[in-house]
Amino acid sequence: MKRGDVIGGYRVVTDPTNAGGGKCVWSFAEKDGREYFLKRFLEPKRPREGSGGSAASRRIRLETCREFEERHRSIMKRLRPDASGAGNLVLATDFFHAGSTYYKVTERIDTASLDKPQSLGPKQKAVLLRTLATSLRLLHDIEVVHGDLKPANVLVQKREGAAFHTAKLIDFDDSYLSGRPPDRADIAGDSLYGAPEWRRYVQGHESVGGEDLTTAVDVFALGLMTHVYLTGSLPAYDGRFGSPADAVNAAEPLVADERLGTSTQALIAAMTAADPQHRPTVADFLAALKDPEVCTLHGTPQPRPAVPGTGVGDGPRGSRVQFNPPDRSGHRPPPAAATDDGPARSRVRINLGHRRDGLPGNPSTS
Amino acid sequence: MSAEIEKYQGNLQYAVDIVMCIDATGSMHPVLDVVKKSSLQFHLRLAEVMARKSKEISQLRLKVIAFRDFGDDPSDAIEQTDFLRLPQQVAEFEKFVRGLRATGGGDIPESGLEALALAINSPWETGLDRRRHVIVMFTDAPAHPLGTVGATAQTYPRDIPRSMDGLFEQWGYARSQTAVMEQSAKRLVLFAPEEEPWKEGIGEEWDLTLHFPSRAGEGLEEFEMDEIIETIANSL
Repeated sequence: MKRGDVIGGYRVVTDPTNAGGGKCVWSFAEKDGREYFLKRFLEPKRPREGSGGSAASRRIRLETCREFEERHRSIMKRLRPDASGAGNLVLATDFFHAGSTYYKVTERIDTASLDKPQSLGPKQKAVLLRTLATSLRLLHDIEVVHGDLKPANVLVQKREGAAFHTAKLIDFDDSYLSGRPPDRADIAGDSLYGAPEWRRYVQGHESVGGEDLTTAVDVFALGLMTHVYLTGSLPAYDGRFGSPADAVNAAEPLVADERLGTSTQALIAAMTAADPQHRPTVADFLAALKDPEVCTLHGTPQPRPAVPGTGVGDGPRGSRVQFNPPDRSGHRPPPAAATDDGPARSRVRINLGHRRDGLPGNPSTS
Repeated sequence: MSAEIEKYQGNLQYAVDIVMCIDATGSMHPVLDVVKKSSLQFHLRLAEVMARKSKEISQLRLKVIAFRDFGDDPSDAIEQTDFLRLPQQVAEFEKFVRGLRATGGGDIPESGLEALALAINSPWETGLDRRRHVIVMFTDAPAHPLGTVGATAQTYPRDIPRSMDGLFEQWGYARSQTAVMEQSAKRLVLFAPEEEPWKEGIGEEWDLTLHFPSRAGEGLEEFEMDEIIETIANSL
């Protein structure tokens, strides 16, 4: 692929790059006067007539391609750009192969993104998080795990004349059905935003199987991103750990910024709980956002949420807040139940109590 | 993050191995200095990018294979290092790279496929939790078919495939039984001309391959090293 090529009817208009992508090359393209984003996959390669390799290898490769096509088409079928509420999901409009290579097309979008969402005011932040969570809820309602939720896959933008910034969720190519992830060696994910169970899955722990990787994986990442959007950094954790999930897996705490309100600290603690079953759903998160206090960054330290029971020593792997555990048995309530219109209070119940001392510093500053 | 902090043993560990195949024939003279400079700075820039993303590589190893042409002078057609661990063995790495001279080559095609075959058969890291195995090819020329030019020379590599089909099977694909590299870890980045075997034979047919066309006598731009760094950093 190079500038000037016409691929599947799309004329490549910029130099291809792999910026921001590990297993693809992309460029902007035009077709029938409209502009698109054209993504070239690095794998699999569809064997062409007369191309190299044995008959056996050809059979294996064609089978891999068939599965690849089926996975992408099934996600595209579930997530249509014209679906209600899909306005902030950047979805594929075309998927095809040209020669041996697969391509995916989305509408061209402005890829600029606000550098420092933490600089926004509380109302702006609430709208931003709401748009992000609404997109994620749409995925979760159809049992799809984004699988690589991180700031780089969210464009924070404000349309001309609009009052608020919104979040556009991109890149679903690593998505999978809840409980049915790719193999341990193949699963994508970000080393910083990955969930504890994702890391154990990657590390080959027998205690974690594919069925343990559910939509709660995205909730963990959303909890971290919420902290980043509100404060500009991840929750603090001991510098010995390579990531928040490493710390959580070692039963060490993630410590939210003290300037966040107590309920927000508790919400983030719940979303980043070690046990995925103990994390709230995205619908719970949306309900919590109804509280105008959630996105406020105070000038003075706020009380820490209490750990249930005796506080600090009450089971390191447990959630530090109580909430109504979601049903992750596979059954999902209809979207209407994941209410935006419910009471304007969080379902997270907070026990105000001890404040922790001797908290570890944020690794970015240690 | 301070380097003095003793890391928790349960952290997810990433190993990155990179083999740089560098065409050191006479025609590369105008660009070899750029390639050398980029190679020498590579690990520092990678570390900088990773730090900016608050990510860490647990183990980084580099190997260099300089190649010329077995048809011209088999005695210096391949020069290579072992895998060198950085930053611990940076002096050895720098000494080898600084010593490379653009010379020889004879006719236009070079022995790039022999270098690629050696790279594919490198002793890649198999431990730690996740791995990235990246081969980078810098050349301004097409390549001789494998097992033809200079194949009878004493110095010609013995244990590499003698055909493109054989090399393709060693590179492999998902569920391949013959691949010598780990499918989920491997990447091939080509800075090579739009000529064979780079353009169609490999660039189009092999998976997990990125081809950035080069032209003889024109340098590798600064940003092109960033393409390699993106390939690594975005997949960790």
